Amino acid sequence: QRAGARQGRGPEGLPGPLRRDQRRWRFAAATLFPGFAAGFCPVLCLKNDTIFKQAFSLLRFRTSGENPVYSAGGILLTTSRHYRSKPTHGIGRYKHLVKPEEPKKKKGKVEIRAINVGTDYEYGTLNIHLIAYDMALTESYAQYVHNLCNHLSIKVEESYAMPTKTMEVLQLQDQGNKMLLDSVLTTHERVVQISGLNATFAEIFLEIIQSNLPEGVKLSVREHTEEDFKGRFKARPELEELLAKLN
Amino acid sequence: MAAPTRRTVLGLARCWRRFESPWSLGSRSLTLAAAPSNSASPWRLLGALCLQRPPLVSKQLTPMQEEMAALLQQMEIERSLYSDHELRALDEAEQLEKKKSDLYEEKDEKNILLVQDLEDMWEQKFLQFKPGARITDADVKNDRSSLHRKLDRNLILLVKDKLGDQDVWMLPQAEWQPGETLRQTAERTLATLSENNLEAKFLGNAPCGHYKFKFPQAVRAEGSLGAKIFFFKALLLTGDFSPAVEKGRHVWASKEELGDYLKPKYLAQVRRFLLDL
Repeated sequence: QRAGARQGRGPEGLPGPLRRDQRRWRFAAATLFPGFAAGFCPVLCLKNDTIFKQAFSLLRFRTSGENPVYSAGGILLTTSRHYRSKPTHGIGRYKHLVKPEEPKKKKGKVEIRAINVGTDYEYGTLNIHLIAYDMALTESYAQYVHNLCNHLSIKVEESYAMPTKTMEVLQLQDQGNKMLLDSVLTTHERVVQISGLNATFAEIFLEIIQSNLPEGVKLSVREHTEEDFKGRFKARPELEELLAKLN
Repeated sequence: MAAPTRRTVLGLARCWRRFESPWSLGSRSLTLAAAPSNSASPWRLLGALCLQRPPLVSKQLTPMQEEMAALLQQMEIERSLYSDHELRALDEAEQLEKKKSDLYEEKDEKNILLVQDLEDMWEQKFLQFKPGARITDADVKNDRSSLHRKLDRNLILLVKDKLGDQDVWMLPQAEWQPGETLRQTAERTLATLSENNLEAKFLGNAPCGHYKFKFPQAVRAEGSLGAKIFFFKALLLTGDFSPAVEKGRHVWASKEELGDYLKPKYLAQVRRFLLDL
């Protein structure tokens, strides 16, 4: 007879036969930690039935075609699920911690206008236009302005580029009336849109930007308007035709 | 950064301006720590103008910057693709070689202007072009009252004024009158300086700095303990003093030269809001 509970000690005072799940764990431990197995091996060898059942479980895993090393992790994963009454219930749940994503608007974005004249005299949305003939220079300066705003904790709403304008310069030839000598000038424009600029700080900010302007770059700081917003969209000739027909 | 300290200064200035009203100076005493028993505050208010001429020319590169620029330029050239002009030059060089080798079949000359001719023309034009001088006459003569000096630095206007008995160099200022904002005081100083010759752009309504001083015992009257000066920054657009103005009274100084003219404490306060890049 065995004394007491299932976990009762065997006649030699050694730990009794293991339950099925305990055995699995011990097996996993044995494969994962050889030293652990060495310690328990003599214990297990003394009990024939435990060996048998051990081998049985081993066989079971072998026949199922799994690698015993993998099945060590497999044991932990493929055991019965963490039951509701157990402390491990809900382990691995994370969706409740992540903020739900707002559905993205597919159509055009709505404009948000801040108060222009408030108690703190904050500007609304301002557009900083940087215009130059050299694209690398404009882009690099736009990058600088953006980084400056980040560093000064000014919120940058958007940083975009306006379409490039190409200009063909025709020079009158020295001999004759033909306009021949060409050069092609491309004008690039980058816009950094900021909001929440303090009126007291705006002065300093504008001075910094102005004094750091590289050669050849024009600066223009304007308030953001509907026309600026709509100017970025492509012209739709069919729509305009239809509208003209209606009117 | 100096921005936080500036902001506290401007915060102080802002709470001053909130009490601006058509009534007397009396309301100001509420903001003063030591409020005198009578309604008028002992401090006189002055609005001063820091008129800056922005640099006209960019600064010269330091030797390290020049080396770096040269290196980057070389890397860019090595990585870049041929432009249209260069492709044309290569084609025409090939054609010339073919002609020389007599295997060439005479084709119609489409291009009258070869790339070589174009390049020669451009070279000539470049040689004819003379860029302006970085170091002007006024620099050579060290004529500090001229506006056409130190083209790559910010220049500030300093004026010599009578303060009590002495002639003191300072930024142009005027006393605040009730009923106007301090910025309007500064604009008034601008107008009186040059009789509307100088055009300047104020970037904001807030002052950029302040200076407080107490009158010496002799001058102290009952009402006036000292004066507080608020500085406003403006960028010079066009215009200059007419040559008829007395010579020794004004100077356009750069940041280092300010030390030659201004008193130490005043200079320390003025330096705080000067951005010299």
